[in-house]
Amino acid sequence: MSTELEQQLRGAMERFTSDVRMPPGLALKAYRHRQKRRMTGRVAAAGCAATAVAGSLAIAGAAGAFGSAGGQPVQTAYTAYVVSHVQHALGARSQANLVQSSRTTFSAGTAVQPYGAASLQVSSRPGSPWQTGSLQDLRYHGRGRVSAFTASGQPVFDLGTTLGSSSLASVTVDYLNRTWWPAGISGLPPRPGPGPGASCGPQIQMRVGTGWAEFIRLQLKCGEFTVAGRQQLDGVNAIKIVSKQRTETFWVSPKSYLPVRLITSLGGVRQQSDFRWLAPTPANLAPLKVTVPAGFKQVPPPWQKAATG
Amino acid sequence: MAHNPAVADLESFLAERGEPLLRTAVLLTGSKEAGEDLLQAGLERLLRHWSAIDGDPEGYLRRTLYNLAADGWRRQRAWRRRLPLLQNETATTVADGTREVDTRDALIRLLVQLAPRQRAVIVARYWEQLSEAETAMVLGCSVGSVKASASRGLQRLRELSGTSTENDLAEEKTP
Repeated sequence: MSTELEQQLRGAMERFTSDVRMPPGLALKAYRHRQKRRMTGRVAAAGCAATAVAGSLAIAGAAGAFGSAGGQPVQTAYTAYVVSHVQHALGARSQANLVQSSRTTFSAGTAVQPYGAASLQVSSRPGSPWQTGSLQDLRYHGRGRVSAFTASGQPVFDLGTTLGSSSLASVTVDYLNRTWWPAGISGLPPRPGPGPGASCGPQIQMRVGTGWAEFIRLQLKCGEFTVAGRQQLDGVNAIKIVSKQRTETFWVSPKSYLPVRLITSLGGVRQQSDFRWLAPTPANLAPLKVTVPAGFKQVPPPWQKAATG
Repeated sequence: MAHNPAVADLESFLAERGEPLLRTAVLLTGSKEAGEDLLQAGLERLLRHWSAIDGDPEGYLRRTLYNLAADGWRRQRAWRRRLPLLQNETATTVADGTREVDTRDALIRLLVQLAPRQRAVIVARYWEQLSEAETAMVLGCSVGSVKASASRGLQRLRELSGTSTENDLAEEKTP
């Protein structure tokens, strides 16, 4: 039976805790305390810079130091914790032995056109014949294949690349014109190692010869990001990471810390990339090979024609 | 750097259930700061056993909070250090912020003077509305022990509230 004292006690407890709010990052503090070691708020520069392969898939990220000064230091530390784990996962040797598979979908009116030996131009051009609804991208040990499809699933082009120590060879198949052409780049500079040499220019570009892992690592190294909670993505309770400018949003797996999804919105183009990290089985490696369909005509690379004509 | 996905899972769990647990921890300890410390201590234990916990981290964490509090967690430090201040305080003697919190409600100020186990039982019974059997389960003791602790705790509160009334009136007159 409730006495007057008990009722007063209950009311007092309610009043006493009415403004208690959960501070962010308590789990991280507990973890850090348990580990008995300190963690800096800033992510160590762990990424290696993208190689100087010509051209880019035009996804841009804002440059700047990672981690905001002031504001919420615990949240910043938690973000640093998550981002550093993503960096670590993407740079791990185990990751390098996985097949990077991604499917990128674009907003309507987006054109993706092969350019140069291993470059893609992505732009908002509703009238272009290179209308692309999605790209399928595979990477493994310097080999890559990008396949473009219309919104209805018809092939637009295939671009196969093989990256050597100082050269790159590619084959492009153009399904729109039923043509194909080989191309190559030689005299590539050596890949820069990790550390401050990694370039954080005003625009971060994904080099076709290197793939998503390096691109994302550079994005996270050079951009300013914040962890923005969790979201269910295809059965994964993924950690959401948002750039300060809100032009890029990543979702990463809480178990492997490998990216699950990336959405960018820039220049009128919204693109969503869904990632899978696959074991290098024969079945997963087979799609890397680009085959020229019978009856397709070999032509000079179109950009050469444009440059000379 | 250590790789512990449990931390991210725990953050997600705390985002949903952290606040009620923190309120309980605040009542068990008597201040926000100590409550956060207690919750953090509980989280450390939770992390240690994260992989072995089957489905109910909240239950585990709640039991841990109560048991840490009932076992007199930190009582040799902040808790005992605070008691003399509470017992002898005047309006101007407390300079560590304790008074600001404690004067918000006289009953809470009296609650923190109870023995840790009595306080834990009072919080479980009258804040969380747990039954005697549930309280016994959380604290890992018998129902009889819960009844005795609750009874003694309430009796002590009555005694303290009787003697504190005059002090409170005197404090209100203090500029």
